[in-house]
Amino acid sequence: MDILNLIRLVLSSGLPCCLLAIGVFLTFRILDFADMTAEGSLLLGGSTCVVMLFNGVPAPIATICGMLVGGACGFITGCLNRLLKIPKLLSGIITMTASASLALLILGFSKTPFRFTSLVTLTDQKTIFSFLPASIFKGWQIPIVTSAIVILMIFVIYFFFGTEYGMAIRATGINERMAKAQGINTTVTTIACTTISNSLIGLAGALICQIEASMNTASATGYLVVGLASILIGETVFGKRSFKNSLISICLGSIVYFTIISLATFVFHMPSELSKILYAVLIVLALCLPMIKEGIMKLWNKIFKKKTVEVK
Amino acid sequence: MLVLKNIHKEFNTTGNPEDLVVALDDVSLTIEEGEFVTIIGTNGSGKSTTMNIITGAMMPDRGQIFLNGADITHMNEHERARYYGRVFQDPMMGTATEMSVLENLEVAYRKGKVHSPFKWGFSKQEKEYFINELKKFDLGIEEKLNKKVGTMSGGQRQALTLLMATMRNLPSHNRIRKEYVYFAEGDKHKAKEEVETGYKLAKDKYLKAKLAIKNDKSLTSQQRKEQLKQAYETFDSEVRKFDVTKPILLLDEHTAALDPKTAKKVLEITDKIVHESKMTALMITHNMADALKYGNRLIMFAHGKIVLDISGEEKAKMQVNDLYNLFQVQNNIE
Repeated sequence: MDILNLIRLVLSSGLPCCLLAIGVFLTFRILDFADMTAEGSLLLGGSTCVVMLFNGVPAPIATICGMLVGGACGFITGCLNRLLKIPKLLSGIITMTASASLALLILGFSKTPFRFTSLVTLTDQKTIFSFLPASIFKGWQIPIVTSAIVILMIFVIYFFFGTEYGMAIRATGINERMAKAQGINTTVTTIACTTISNSLIGLAGALICQIEASMNTASATGYLVVGLASILIGETVFGKRSFKNSLISICLGSIVYFTIISLATFVFHMPSELSKILYAVLIVLALCLPMIKEGIMKLWNKIFKKKTVEVK
Repeated sequence: MLVLKNIHKEFNTTGNPEDLVVALDDVSLTIEEGEFVTIIGTNGSGKSTTMNIITGAMMPDRGQIFLNGADITHMNEHERARYYGRVFQDPMMGTATEMSVLENLEVAYRKGKVHSPFKWGFSKQEKEYFINELKKFDLGIEEKLNKKVGTMSGGQRQALTLLMATMRNLPSHNRIRKEYVYFAEGDKHKAKEEVETGYKLAKDKYLKAKLAIKNDKSLTSQQRKEQLKQAYETFDSEVRKFDVTKPILLLDEHTAALDPKTAKKVLEITDKIVHESKMTALMITHNMADALKYGNRLIMFAHGKIVLDISGEEKAKMQVNDLYNLFQVQNNIE
């Protein structure tokens, strides 16, 4: 496999996951909310988009609808947590559980008459990538369109979290008592943040289903872990000095993650049955990266800066 | 004026009757505007519970809270926040540590306003204002505006929280008119009439002055600008006379976690701010000397009740030893 093709594959799978990772980051880091909805909103966002495309709805509208459905999942999780006082982790799991059935229902609308379905495959329907002619771009239309969307979303998210309301959300996540004492309605900020986060994840789902030209109920499994791994890799390798820095780091982290996986499968021909082991090892590595970094620094100091230690 | 009326609060009400704790036992308290009240009492005597009930972090089991003429017992904590400024005991509690000093101040400056999702959260003017205010503390915080609050010392953080609690983004004219009626004591209709006529008078006067300045051909454009600005300022100050909701400062042992030197400095800053802005303030402290030194009224809590309430002359005469003896008697300490 030539290098250009590999890069194209990495970008095609890595870029949509940037959106997913940013979505997970917004709840996981900014709001301090371990949100398990992610896989549910990804699945429902993707299913909605694929069914709408299958029924001939224009691609941009279908993509936006996927995003909105994802946002609705987040809204429900936020309401469960804030209005019904269900613990954060549990309210995410509840939405995720419900979404498995809802996806069967939504995908069912591709059949006439209606019938519950677990798989929808696009044949020659136009996707959001069909706007760039495939004959000229030769497969590169996917990375081009997705990167444009990712960059747009990074800008939108960056500016939103610099606005008055965005700062209120950040304050809620960091110190809720302080936020309340400063007159912030933390119920609304929490629900707003889970909604925004999950609409990004829904958008990621909509893009993924268009790239793969199919959606089934099992295809969203494991993506939450991908998002978390991207955050961890990005933050340790590229830093988290500021909000802007974090956003970019996470996107790069997601690309790094998919580079490793693509190298393993396409260059070293790892059998796909073993892929889950690789994922697990990668996540352990990502979690240990700060420790490894520290260890290397210590070793470095021991070897090259021994004198300063002796002086002490 | 802040009024607590027969406030009663119990903890562990659902468990074993032996575990039942009466935190506040029918406490009534009236705090007039401009009073600086120091509160002392042992741990568990009900000081912090009182403060939590005032801010709305806790709901009383029985009783009512009035702010001026309005019953605010069931008002949400975040809605009430604009009438209070709060400094916690824990320096970590009052600020968002992962955000920069500037961001913290901007969040605090929006207190009581709508947080717009479309408006950029920073502005140059506000930054200058913050720098000016921070310079008064003389703690060097103004040079660390873009540093995360987590990197600052406890004293700096408490001073920052103090500024966040006391600075005030002035309410709009509409809000002033609304709140004047809401907080009015007695007849609300009369209050409404009063504020509306007052506002109308001021506005008419301002419009007339504006017209006169615009028609005055002898003025240069610079002079005209200045006079227009002046006219607006008089109008503004006349409307602000109806502003009834000056925030009350609530200090919950805010120097307890600091070293003696920093604690003294923060206390001095507090005293200065309270005096300069003539704020109503409540300060919980465990230091008897501080309780006597600062403020013009002293309240002692014991077993969920107010056992001592002195002010003015009586407080000025009180010696630390007398207070200490009284404290021990009230708490049955040998």
